[in-house]
Amino acid sequence: MIQWDRLSTPATYSPGNNPAARRVSIDRWTTYAEDRLESSELERFEAVVLPHLDAAYTLARYLTRNDHDAQDVVQDASLRALRYFAGFRGGASGEGRAWLLAIVRNTAYTWRQRHRADTLTTEFDEERHSESVADRHPGAAVEAQSQRAALRRAIDDLPPEFREVIVLRELEGLSYKEISDVAGVPVGTVMSRLSRARRRLEEALCADPEDC
Amino acid sequence: MTHPAFEAQLDAYLDGELAAPDAAELEQHLRACPECSRLERRRRSLSAALRDQLPRFPAPDTLRAGVRAGARAEAGRTARRRAPSWGALAVAASLALVAFGSRQLALRGAAGEAITNQVLASHVRSLMPGHLTDVLSSDQHTVKPWFNGKLDFSPPVYDFAGSGFPLVGGRLEYVDGRPVAALAYSRRQHVISVFVWPAGQGGGRTAGPGDATRQGYHLLHWVTPAFAYWVASDLGLSELRDFVTLLQRGDSAATAAVR
Repeated sequence: MIQWDRLSTPATYSPGNNPAARRVSIDRWTTYAEDRLESSELERFEAVVLPHLDAAYTLARYLTRNDHDAQDVVQDASLRALRYFAGFRGGASGEGRAWLLAIVRNTAYTWRQRHRADTLTTEFDEERHSESVADRHPGAAVEAQSQRAALRRAIDDLPPEFREVIVLRELEGLSYKEISDVAGVPVGTVMSRLSRARRRLEEALCADPEDC
Repeated sequence: MTHPAFEAQLDAYLDGELAAPDAAELEQHLRACPECSRLERRRRSLSAALRDQLPRFPAPDTLRAGVRAGARAEAGRTARRRAPSWGALAVAASLALVAFGSRQLALRGAAGEAITNQVLASHVRSLMPGHLTDVLSSDQHTVKPWFNGKLDFSPPVYDFAGSGFPLVGGRLEYVDGRPVAALAYSRRQHVISVFVWPAGQGGGRTAGPGDATRQGYHLLHWVTPAFAYWVASDLGLSELRDFVTLLQRGDSAATAAVR
């Protein structure tokens, strides 16, 4: 079994340009392994990032609208996060969450641009496309199921800028200020986007136009 | 019909984001205006429905493990990038070899053997989550220019999607004392790494025995007038040879086109 974490250890050792250093012995390697800088930084990184992985995946899942892409985005975002981690000075758990979600969000948008051709054609989704008027017959369970499906469809049909504020606010419970940090827009924009998103959802879900 | 600015105020109020004096004023208005209080009720029930019924997606275990493994591998890579000299990289590479399972292999010291092992180590490492590609694209015209400014040569990049070997992307690797291009192709669930560098340089000079099988991976090697190639994969040998044939054909076609 290859021990990858051990493989990376000699990297902190810098022998300069001395060719003799190429023949450094295993014993010396073991010594230098103790100088390893990354290990504490890596632990700090894991402590900040791993607790928010569910939130990260949920946001990615809503932005990409499928599991596979969401996993790629979060995986990619976590590596970006590690690269920027030196610049992250936040302490509180909430700051770590907003910081990670901002990176996930940006990664998802970059990813979407790169795969624009793919994402324009909406994939077939059992839940979304199988529902028909005939399915909406009375019965509490069916009713609930159908309402759930309608909600999912309404969310998926929102532009991503609206979808993300709904997810961040309603599912993650972020404050306007935190959402503004994640989405990179002023608080006033967060406020108006949330309101417009909710109006669109109401309109999409409204069964009786008289009532809306 | 309510005014959008009022709606946004109401939403902020319901989200607990409205300052106290504004909130008091708004509450007063809600008591007086039936239309606005209907809107308030609709918004409250919408929020409740979203919170109750929209699914949350827990990160799958594979993703959680992938993030951890990726971070650990990346931490090593970042440190190596920070290293000031190629010498340090050479030490890292040679030590990696020593640590790489069978100690006697590296100690045997044959240069060709060393390159075989470096190629294998690079390939295996690339299979860790998040390490397969630095540039992720099945478009050869995206991948090839990506290497500009990162290498002192432009590696041949093809897309064999039509033959069942789609291009996945590219990355930089470090083999035998020089940065080289690594291209990832796929065949079903298998990944094929192609390592390329100018012939006669670095590994090209000391390339050892052509083909090898190590730890379940096949490693194929050849040299054209322009480039030295290594191919590594766990794909069956006959299919891998098919792939190599495509690659060699692509390369000679490109050379012919230049002439």
